[in-house]
Amino acid sequence: MSAVDIAPARPSLFRRAIDRNGGWRVAIVFGALAAIIVLGLLAPLLPLQDPIKPNPLAKLAAPSLQHLFGTDNNGMDVFSRTIYAIRTDFTLALSSVLLGVLVGVPLGAISGYFGGWTDAVVSRLSEVIQGFPQILFGMAFIAAAGNSLTSVVLVVAIYNVPVYAKMVRSVIVPLRDIDYVQAAKVAGNRPMRVIFRHIVPNAMTPVFAQLPLSCAYAVQMIAGLSFIGLGVPIPTPEWGSMIQLGANYMVFGKWWLSIFPGLALFLSVWLLNASSTILQSIWARRT
Amino acid sequence: MDSTRHWIKFLAKRLGGLALSLWIVSLITFTVTRLIGNPVYLLLGPRYTEDQFQAAVQRLGLDRPIWDQYLTYLGNVLTGDLGVSRYTQTPVLEDLLHRAPATLELSTLALLLGVAWAVPAGIAAARNPRGWFAWFADAIARIGVSLPGFWLSLLLVFVFFAQLQWLPAPLGRIDEAYRDLPVVTGWMTIDTLLAGNLAAFGSALAHLVMPVVALAITTCPSIFQITRARTEEIMASDYIRSARAFGMPDRTIRRYMLLNMAAPVLTMIAMTYGFLISGTVLVEVVFTWPGLGLYAVNAMSHSDYEPVQGVVLFTTAFYLFLYMAADIVNGVIDPRARASS
Repeated sequence: MSAVDIAPARPSLFRRAIDRNGGWRVAIVFGALAAIIVLGLLAPLLPLQDPIKPNPLAKLAAPSLQHLFGTDNNGMDVFSRTIYAIRTDFTLALSSVLLGVLVGVPLGAISGYFGGWTDAVVSRLSEVIQGFPQILFGMAFIAAAGNSLTSVVLVVAIYNVPVYAKMVRSVIVPLRDIDYVQAAKVAGNRPMRVIFRHIVPNAMTPVFAQLPLSCAYAVQMIAGLSFIGLGVPIPTPEWGSMIQLGANYMVFGKWWLSIFPGLALFLSVWLLNASSTILQSIWARRT
Repeated sequence: MDSTRHWIKFLAKRLGGLALSLWIVSLITFTVTRLIGNPVYLLLGPRYTEDQFQAAVQRLGLDRPIWDQYLTYLGNVLTGDLGVSRYTQTPVLEDLLHRAPATLELSTLALLLGVAWAVPAGIAAARNPRGWFAWFADAIARIGVSLPGFWLSLLLVFVFFAQLQWLPAPLGRIDEAYRDLPVVTGWMTIDTLLAGNLAAFGSALAHLVMPVVALAITTCPSIFQITRARTEEIMASDYIRSARAFGMPDRTIRRYMLLNMAAPVLTMIAMTYGFLISGTVLVEVVFTWPGLGLYAVNAMSHSDYEPVQGVVLFTTAFYLFLYMAADIVNGVIDPRARASS
């Protein structure tokens, strides 16, 4: 009722997400994604069978009440492994994406702000790195740096650096000459302070919306690399290597080894993609 | 006169850009192989004798300064010397050329199938964005981007080979019986026709169905999405509204729309083609398809690293070349792309 209250309040982020995507969609996508993450976090506390304990008496058992998703050729429980793999895949994906953000955001900010020579080098380098064939470059990198989880995280991070550098740069270039930035400069702030205190916060919204999408790519790439035996060592539960293990049994009609981890992989990537779309719609200008 | 100069400048800029990118590629591969890893290990694998070690150090010139090593490396790559595969004992370049047609045939057909679906579907979906078709096509595209290609391949093998027996086993490009047909182009579909052997042609096609479908579904959705978005944008634009208001015939309006749509869609098609050349790696593994991807994966499992590097260089160069070609075609279609360069 106050006189100041002329403009209607800006709807909350949550409200905007629902307005633009429908309540059901938002609830299902974020609910299911949260469920997957919680399932992964709580896996050790749940009454699951040991994911890396072979059972010679129950090799290649079809799905049953005792083994919901059946067992693999070592007699390990596929259900338990599929759940535990959430931990492996999400942790690796998230760490590589965050590493990419950590390097990409400052790099894009600095190159966009200073322009000129730095900018030309960073832009060209980003373009070339994005031109490298992902899986193959991953193979070459792992060949050189050794077959380890660190190599996998690094190679996925290398792909994410240009994504964020380009994104931040595109936000920063138009802001460079805007009044408040000029004012911050004139007030005697050092360039780094102007960049990170006054400009970069504006670029964090698209970065945030991009995160799940990057994680989706990262999960796919990590699973792809371990499908050809790179990165995650064998008994560790991981979707890609589980699919690989089951691949040879597929032609003999033993479908459960590959189908279930593949479904989990597909579902996770789908939900990550969908949540990124919803986040982007919140901040997109209404057309 | 002026326009000729304009064109030469445009082309020179694009070619220069390509050369620069390729040079950066060589810098990156050099850094990865020489500075991150142990190059002797890369050349010899996990087991080697002292003599072999000394010979490798000699060959790689590890005792020389780093810039000198780089120049030698660059010289080798430029003259087509990509090393020798320790496993097949043939020069890597020879192996690459021998295997490239299998990958090219697979990815080209996948791209054609994808474009044949994605572009018309994108236009149709944009014309009636609230209709069932738009919903359906969009669902397929969303599923396609989220599906791992190698897993979809396995699903197809399970259904169409293991269960229904409609399609051949995932073991290569053609049935055993036709393996000694003369190789002319390296494309099975063309070579079998040149040999006039229709049964062999049928076998080659049957072997292509599953990998081509798996690749088309998983890599072409972005073509659908960009076609749809661009068409919707154009249909809502002022110039199309004006053209309609002036009573232009549908044919003319359609031509305007296609011309304006072409540039981003072509760029996306070129990028998808580039991705396909390397995106086939995992699908080739599933179908034991004797292309570049399987070559690299096999080499990797024999600790034979020069082929892996060779495939990376080859496919990256291919991608960058396609990207430049798309840029040039855009310049031909759209004068704004020329001017802004």
